[in-house]
Amino acid sequence: MTEVNYIAEALKFMVLGMGVVFLFLVVLVQLIKLQASLIQKYFPDKAPITPIAPKIGSEDRDEEQRRVAAIIAAISEYSKNK
Amino acid sequence: MKIRQIFLLFALVAMSSFSFATEGSNLHHEAQEQSSHKKPYEPKTLSQLASSFWETTGINAIIDTNDGEMTSDPAGEAKERPMGAFESSLGRIIMIAIVFLLFYLAIAKGFEPLLLLPIAFGGLLANIPLAHMAGPEGMLGVIYNMGIANEFFPLLIFMGVGAMTDFGPLLANPKTALLGGAAQFGIFGSLVGAVALGFDLQDASAISIIGGADGPTSIFIANRLAPDMLGAIAVAAYSYMALVPVIQPPIMRALTTKEEREIKMGVQRKVHRLEKLFFPIVVLMLSILILPESTPLIGAFAFGNFAKESGVIDRLSDTMQNSLINIVTIFLGLGVGSKLAADKFLVLESLGIMIIGLIAFGAGTAAGVLMAKIMNKFSKEPINPLIGAAGVSAVPMAARVVSKVGAEARPGNVLLMHAMGPNVAGVIGSAVAAGVLLSIFK
Repeated sequence: MTEVNYIAEALKFMVLGMGVVFLFLVVLVQLIKLQASLIQKYFPDKAPITPIAPKIGSEDRDEEQRRVAAIIAAISEYSKNK
Repeated sequence: MKIRQIFLLFALVAMSSFSFATEGSNLHHEAQEQSSHKKPYEPKTLSQLASSFWETTGINAIIDTNDGEMTSDPAGEAKERPMGAFESSLGRIIMIAIVFLLFYLAIAKGFEPLLLLPIAFGGLLANIPLAHMAGPEGMLGVIYNMGIANEFFPLLIFMGVGAMTDFGPLLANPKTALLGGAAQFGIFGSLVGAVALGFDLQDASAISIIGGADGPTSIFIANRLAPDMLGAIAVAAYSYMALVPVIQPPIMRALTTKEEREIKMGVQRKVHRLEKLFFPIVVLMLSILILPESTPLIGAFAFGNFAKESGVIDRLSDTMQNSLINIVTIFLGLGVGSKLAADKFLVLESLGIMIIGLIAFGAGTAAGVLMAKIMNKFSKEPINPLIGAAGVSAVPMAARVVSKVGAEARPGNVLLMHAMGPNVAGVIGSAVAAGVLLSIFK
């Protein structure tokens, strides 16, 4: 039996192990990106639900509507993060 | 044995040689016929009774080191041996003191009490003399054989963790997954260290997995590669997980500058529901192709996560992430604690395991932080290097610690969600690393 250098063996394990872990994660990252772009392409997010407000018409209401939209968005964001 | 003599003398003087002639001996006879293995009862004097009672007290078991008490092992008598003098006396007292220290850490300091408290109590029970609770018929031994010796509990825990994990932050910023990979350097770096300390390759691999900071994975691997060291490895892994808030921050502060810690990270994009739904399947497919050895862990994890994200079996996913994981945590804690018996834990190897585990943990944290620093240099969007520390997979403890250290540097800077990305990637990373180690020793 030849003398085995265990530390050298352990270093080889390290190269293999870190290599496989990174390979796995790099492939995973690419798959996540691919998946995200495919999903965005074929199942685009539905347009954000517009706040229920009186029919769009007069220009002076525009500002008011934007404010309501902002408030609703803030509330939904807040309750989502709860 | 002075105490014993005094006790006996007292018993003798008080009631000199009473003999309890047995009445109703007919009844006794019948009972004997039914269970023939029962020893026939011989009349005893009260002094004999007193002295045999004394033999069964814990005080005697601790004082008298040569009573031939056997160690207990869930695997049964084959693995039992007479207890050494140290193990059955001072060793027990030391272990009970350690257990009390763990109670203190769990209750007063709040270090992962969910894990630490059951483990510590299991340790307390395992150190009870004469009761053999860690033996194959004792409560702890039964629990141990039920789910730890066959790797069942770690997989159930993985299932529950999968059902609790939200991969949203990872999906929103996928490149942070690489930080979870870098932190696995703790495993392989300390593997070299363990070999240098004189452990053989297989044992060293089992020990170094502690660097993944993942209790279930550690138990899983230890069982396959070094079952004799399972107790110390599991205890080390869980206690370091509990000590994440103590071990990590100094390393994180040492490796980053104040400006780096103050980096703010942008708002994460919104993740489509379908992305979350497909993700566990993608991970599982990938591990089937690359590393089937790791699929028991990743499979359980993916199932839990898929159940959650599917949105149609909320009842089941709710059970997995609450009741089931709670039950298993109780069992796992007590079962692991049974290995805190003095005869198992107070050996030189445990010390080596604890030291290597600590190094592994520190190296993993450091590698994650350094990787995050490098990524920050090359990335368009700023990356706070602190989130690299969350690459060790103690979920969600490591991410919380990152957030805390980040908030210390700049109040109001919330890194929690950003740190969850590397954190959950760390779980996958350490399962992959575990699969690699298993494949080497196949």
